[in-house]
Amino acid sequence: MKTDSLVGAESNGHAETEALPALDEPQVAPRVRRGFSRAQLIGFGLLLLMAALPIPFGDFGFFVGQYALVYAILGMSVVVVTGYAGLISLMPYSFAGVGAMTTGVAMASWGWPFWLAALLSAVATVPIAVLVGISSVRLKGLYLAIATLTFSNALGETLFKWDAFTGGQSGWATVRPAVGPVNFNSDIWFYVLCLGVVFALLIMIEGLRTSRIGRAMLAVRDNELEAQALGINVYKTKLTAFVIGGMVAGLGGAFLAALVQLVTPTGFQSPIAEATSILLVTLVAIGGMDRAIGAFFGAVSLVVQQQVFQGAEFFYAFVGIYAAAVLILFLMFRPGGLVQVGKIQVALIRHRPVLGLAIVFAIVAVNVGLAWLFVSLSS
Amino acid sequence: MITAAPVMEVTVFGLSSGAVFALLALGLVLIYRTTGVMNFAHWAIGLIAVVAYVMLTGLGAPAEVAMPLALAFGAGSGVLAYRLVFRKVSGARQIIVILISIGVAQLYASLAQFALGFEQFTRLEPWLPTGDMQVGTVAIRASEIITAAVAIGVAFVFLVWFRVSRAGRALRAVAQNREAAMLAGIDDVRYSSLAWGIGSALAALALLLVLPHSGGEQGGLITTFDVTPFGTLLIPAFGAALVGGLVHLPMAMVGGFVFGLARELMILAPKPWSDLRSSVAAILIVVLLLIRTERFFASRQELEALE
Repeated sequence: MKTDSLVGAESNGHAETEALPALDEPQVAPRVRRGFSRAQLIGFGLLLLMAALPIPFGDFGFFVGQYALVYAILGMSVVVVTGYAGLISLMPYSFAGVGAMTTGVAMASWGWPFWLAALLSAVATVPIAVLVGISSVRLKGLYLAIATLTFSNALGETLFKWDAFTGGQSGWATVRPAVGPVNFNSDIWFYVLCLGVVFALLIMIEGLRTSRIGRAMLAVRDNELEAQALGINVYKTKLTAFVIGGMVAGLGGAFLAALVQLVTPTGFQSPIAEATSILLVTLVAIGGMDRAIGAFFGAVSLVVQQQVFQGAEFFYAFVGIYAAAVLILFLMFRPGGLVQVGKIQVALIRHRPVLGLAIVFAIVAVNVGLAWLFVSLSS
Repeated sequence: MITAAPVMEVTVFGLSSGAVFALLALGLVLIYRTTGVMNFAHWAIGLIAVVAYVMLTGLGAPAEVAMPLALAFGAGSGVLAYRLVFRKVSGARQIIVILISIGVAQLYASLAQFALGFEQFTRLEPWLPTGDMQVGTVAIRASEIITAAVAIGVAFVFLVWFRVSRAGRALRAVAQNREAAMLAGIDDVRYSSLAWGIGSALAALALLLVLPHSGGEQGGLITTFDVTPFGTLLIPAFGAALVGGLVHLPMAMVGGFVFGLARELMILAPKPWSDLRSSVAAILIVVLLLIRTERFFASRQELEALE
């Protein structure tokens, strides 16, 4: 029958697979050396630049900024599990919930200080991560996605409906931490505190990438059989990724509890509700899955909009559509996320400085223009 | 002592919710087998059809007319998703495809939210008779029985059609070996689109059977700001699909009834056990995942092609 369409489809399929700058191109193994690479330094520089973003917006800027930073901490657990080890987990927010609830119980019910509660939160996720890991780590991609979705639902139905743990409908009241004379109660100081935590975690998770276990994770992600042939214990590696990811999410959950100051279990009960695991996976995919800084970029670009438009129904729904469309387009054409786009941009600036800087300027101008438009429309 | 009446009632409830899971699972398996995409956006596509139904009945169309139009709209949005997005990423890693389907789910759910406006609740007009029906000694809501009957009928017709018709055989050929099917002159994109269309229409039918009748006489209510919990329908549907190893259509249908009946019959269990009702789907899914059902239904070669 239709030979032409057949050939067309064939060549089409070919061109498309080639056009995809897929993540699965075997990546150059990270060099092992002390200190930071230039890319990492550029990333940290950008981070410092972006950390100053809320200053012109005053209190509101810091209020929104602290949300972005807490979600950046949560996003880093996705970076470890999905970005480094290639395990698709649809339950990072459940781990965050365990962390948040543990902090709530410890602070409100037992009267623990925040730092001890946060430490306990990170540890509390370990048994669950091990349990989930042992039963599902042998599953391949798709089956693992279904399994984690199911676990997330099961935890929502059992653990997050257990009143002794969640405080029932009223939840737990928490207070923001203090170190000696410095009290992190105000939004500005809590923002600064979160910034410090994000910075420390960035260094740790970037360091993990080049460490022995991190390189094992990357090897397992790229080719399981090859990794096994190299003598890597695949299951142990995956389990470690799960546990580290769970601990980071638990710590993030503790900061989430301190951020909202009143933790209720409702958000953790449904696995596919908005602003949950799906949001975390989305923001990390947009930011760049296999770099710690990707979680930060993603959080800044998504959570800020979400918080700003929270009250405005029309804009809020619009942000949902926009975020989903951006996610789809990024995954189709730039699976490396904003980090990959940034790399391309840096290369462009190096080779054709005028054009590259013009593009950067255009992007900044469009964003500032839109922000100005929104502010003038809403006031 | 358990009497006959609640058993009867609970069984009918189980059959009707099982029928809904079966329809969802059939769509999931059909799409997965032909295009290799495990569609996490399945519920959102069904939701789009529900929104179309709400809008049409809101414009004054009778429910009998709005129903097929909404199904067609659901099928159309599924085909659109395939043509615009999933066809372009057939070579990408599975993890990327799963994330993309989550993105599509978010896109459709946000669009649905947008289209429904921002009312607290949206009322759905029922399109099946809402009265009670006398079965033996118990009165059971007629829509429950009709839901089970419609779903079983549709699924049966679909399975026969898939087995004997020319288009059905072409679909099976694409599912088994895409390249060989293409060499035999089958237009794979056309038939993949057909699979997405049928699968999405089944999802739309499933949601349209449940939602407008959840509240009896008054029709159904959906909370607009909270459309996402429909996603939890997808978990038993995944479980049902797993009964057939994600590839076997009749077994996926059986699986739907297993999950529906298991969930409802748990109500009858003695007290400490009936609390497990909400987790029974999760337990079943873990068991199914651990025994790796796919190896009973597909050859190694087929599974490798799907990955």
